[in-house]
Amino acid sequence: MKGQVIVENLKKIYLSKQRTGLFQSRTTEVEALKGVSLEIKAGEIFGLLGPNGAGKTTLIKCLTTLLLPTSGAAWINGYKLTEEDNAIRASVGCMLMGERGLYWKLTGRENLDFFGALYHLPAGERRRRSSEIIQRLHLEEIADRAVESYSSGQKMKLAFAKALINDAPILILDEPTNTLDVPSARELREIVQTLNQEGKTIIYTTHIMLEAEILCERVAIIDRGEVIAQGAVVDLKQSLGREKVIRLEGVISESALRAVEQLPGINRAALAMLNGHNQLTVVTAEESNLLPRLIETLTQHQALLQRITPEEVTLEDVFIAHTGRTLADNTSLQ
Amino acid sequence: MREFVYHPPTFRQKLDAALAETRLRLINISRYPGQLVMEIIIPLVFASMPMLLGRATAGADAAANFEANTGTTNYVAYMLIGANIFTIVTSAFWHVAYWLRFEQETGTLESIYLTPTSSVTLLSGVALHSAIRGVGSALIAYFIGCLIYRVNPLQGDVLIALLFILVGLIPLYSLTLLFGAVVLKVKESNALINLMQWVVSFLMGIFFPIAILPKVVQLIALAFPPTWMINGVRSALLGVGFFFGEWYLDLAVLWTFLLITPYVGMWVFRRVENNLRRNEGMGQF
Amino acid sequence: MSKHLSVFAAMVHKEFLIMLRYPIEFVASFFQVFLIIIIITLAGLMFSSEGVGAEAPPEVGGVVAYGFVLFIYLSDTLWGIGFNVRREQKQGTLEQLYLSPASKFASLASRVVITLFWTGLLSLGSLLVMSLLLGGLPLQNGGLGLYLLLMSLSGTFGMGFAFAALTLRIKEAAQTAVNMLQFGFMVLCAPFFPFAALPPAILAISRLIPLSYGVDSFRSTLMGYPEGFPELAPIGTEIIIVTLFGLLMPPLGVWLYRWAEDDARRRGTLSEY
Repeated sequence: MKGQVIVENLKKIYLSKQRTGLFQSRTTEVEALKGVSLEIKAGEIFGLLGPNGAGKTTLIKCLTTLLLPTSGAAWINGYKLTEEDNAIRASVGCMLMGERGLYWKLTGRENLDFFGALYHLPAGERRRRSSEIIQRLHLEEIADRAVESYSSGQKMKLAFAKALINDAPILILDEPTNTLDVPSARELREIVQTLNQEGKTIIYTTHIMLEAEILCERVAIIDRGEVIAQGAVVDLKQSLGREKVIRLEGVISESALRAVEQLPGINRAALAMLNGHNQLTVVTAEESNLLPRLIETLTQHQALLQRITPEEVTLEDVFIAHTGRTLADNTSLQ
Repeated sequence: MREFVYHPPTFRQKLDAALAETRLRLINISRYPGQLVMEIIIPLVFASMPMLLGRATAGADAAANFEANTGTTNYVAYMLIGANIFTIVTSAFWHVAYWLRFEQETGTLESIYLTPTSSVTLLSGVALHSAIRGVGSALIAYFIGCLIYRVNPLQGDVLIALLFILVGLIPLYSLTLLFGAVVLKVKESNALINLMQWVVSFLMGIFFPIAILPKVVQLIALAFPPTWMINGVRSALLGVGFFFGEWYLDLAVLWTFLLITPYVGMWVFRRVENNLRRNEGMGQF
Repeated sequence: MSKHLSVFAAMVHKEFLIMLRYPIEFVASFFQVFLIIIIITLAGLMFSSEGVGAEAPPEVGGVVAYGFVLFIYLSDTLWGIGFNVRREQKQGTLEQLYLSPASKFASLASRVVITLFWTGLLSLGSLLVMSLLLGGLPLQNGGLGLYLLLMSLSGTFGMGFAFAALTLRIKEAAQTAVNMLQFGFMVLCAPFFPFAALPPAILAISRLIPLSYGVDSFRSTLMGYPEGFPELAPIGTEIIIVTLFGLLMPPLGVWLYRWAEDDARRRGTLSEY
């Protein structure tokens, strides 16, 4: 399948002015993107991961035409960046600056209607879309109140609603769960998944790796303006060459062990006695669907399971393996 | 998944977007009713200052002295026209020149630049809002002022006066747009706009004919469209005399401004806009 | 005492640094004042029989020039304080100031000191420009004039605190309130024209405002009491009113401010905006 978003060797260099005296200043070049290349397929949720200051937002701003790249090329929905900018803007629904991108004196509905007009939707269509989105995001109760009276989470939700107003084939969401509480973040992720199932291509930036693992099929990890790893989440984890270890504790018989050993994808399995009960350690190279099959096989062999401790490779491990740093480190370019 | 193909907006769609921008701003300001009342009171108080001063100092000779200096005995209407065109100019400066800055400060600038609506369309919407507010409050203040000071507001050629205001608006907005582009690059835009509105008021002869200014200053003043606007309105209503003797000649000058200044304004604006996109980005300041 | 003084000096220093960081605002405010004064003066001259270039009658120059000086001084004290509170509230530094043991009044007063100094320069500049435009200004009884200016300032300083109290309460609406009051002052206290120009009904209201006597006595004194000045009351009476205003208003204003501040702390609205 041809990529819906193709980025080729995109570079962005800022000129940063620093004051050195009352009338003196020094201009320095800051390379925010050092030749980024990506291909995002139609209908996938693609994660852009990286710590704060890695260059994710700069990349997004370039792709949404807010910033002009210094060199390189990109095609969004088949439209060439810098040459067909309006077509790109129309093809993308974007949630970029969180709650700041809204008119606070206007109500939520008025905001949606206004942005709908800027996407050239006819008045009737705007009203219909606004109501539909308000309903979908459960914003009915606050939709007709001025945004300034919203809580931080409600504002984020409305900003998300704004990104949906033009019903664009591509959605770009920049850290959309920032400032959301846990249930709201979960709800938003569910909506993102539904939108994806409806056919939307989603570019999702986050610095929370777990979030990316839950949502994304493929990811690119960005650090200091460079893509340091890119691919399917499973592949990236496997690329580390680490095997996955699952520990199961309870009453487990030898026959259960032998049944487990017969399962496809099992590299090693071992049974040990531990504090009066058995511990089965399973080593596997396979990521998906193993645990349910494992539990099913064990229960068929009359095993009583008390605790299951999977030790999975996480995307955070991938990041650490590539950079030698954890995600908590700020790699801001400034 | 259905194919998404972009169709450039029709004129109707652009107009719709511009009107949405106007509506947004009007809704926004309707939530500050005190501000709207102030916009009517300010020119009234402002015009009253020189009037009261003149009345008190010149006594019975006020009208006669005023006619000798300006060409009309109706100093009330003269001052009210000055103060109200000042309202229109201030309105243009604050709404148009400060527009992008304001959006930058509130954080909505990037939101609107993410949409396929061009800045020209948005700007027309902003200018329309400014015109409705500026001209609206100027007219209301003018009529209230005439009522308070008991003079006839509708003497002379009212239609020609209106024509001067309407034709003068576009060059005025172009001028403020040009200034807005500069303001976008400067941190203290507030102070600059504040100063600029007074400079233009002085140059356009807010309470006096520009003939009393030194020749060089007069020439600079004539380069500003508001100078032609204010003199056109005063000449049409009060007969103080057009710069070129006939109303259509003065109006022709405004038309020339109208045909040239928008391009200059847009050209400079686009340059600054691109410059921002090339560098730190629209949202930064 | 010395501790208080050093806090005060530090605050003045901070304000001065902030002012220097905004050079355009600094220059623009200067030019703006000159432009306003030139505009009003030229407008006033349109009523003189000989127009621009003529020797204006001393009352025109005196009334406008001294009225303007008092007006900008009063703006500093009256609105300056309220605006500063509002600024701190918006920037979120208001709570910070309360967290430090330094006196809040030192913080407010330090700004006023800086602006008063700046206004002094502006006033002198403005008077010079007007002298040039009008061919001289009357200047008499400098000592008494200064006393009346100081008393009026002291009174408005108190009003400033009262206004700051209001700012803490009404927040965003404060801007509109300032404008309303400012324009009310421009008409009722007649800083740019003689009281004689006001219709009797409005003049009756003017007489109820102590500041009107400040304006009237200040400019009449500096002009050397020409025919018809002071306009509102005999000069002796005006001096007593202005003195009382100058002495009583500050404690009243501070009391109001304290009350509003305690109220804001009780309701937890100090950092709200």
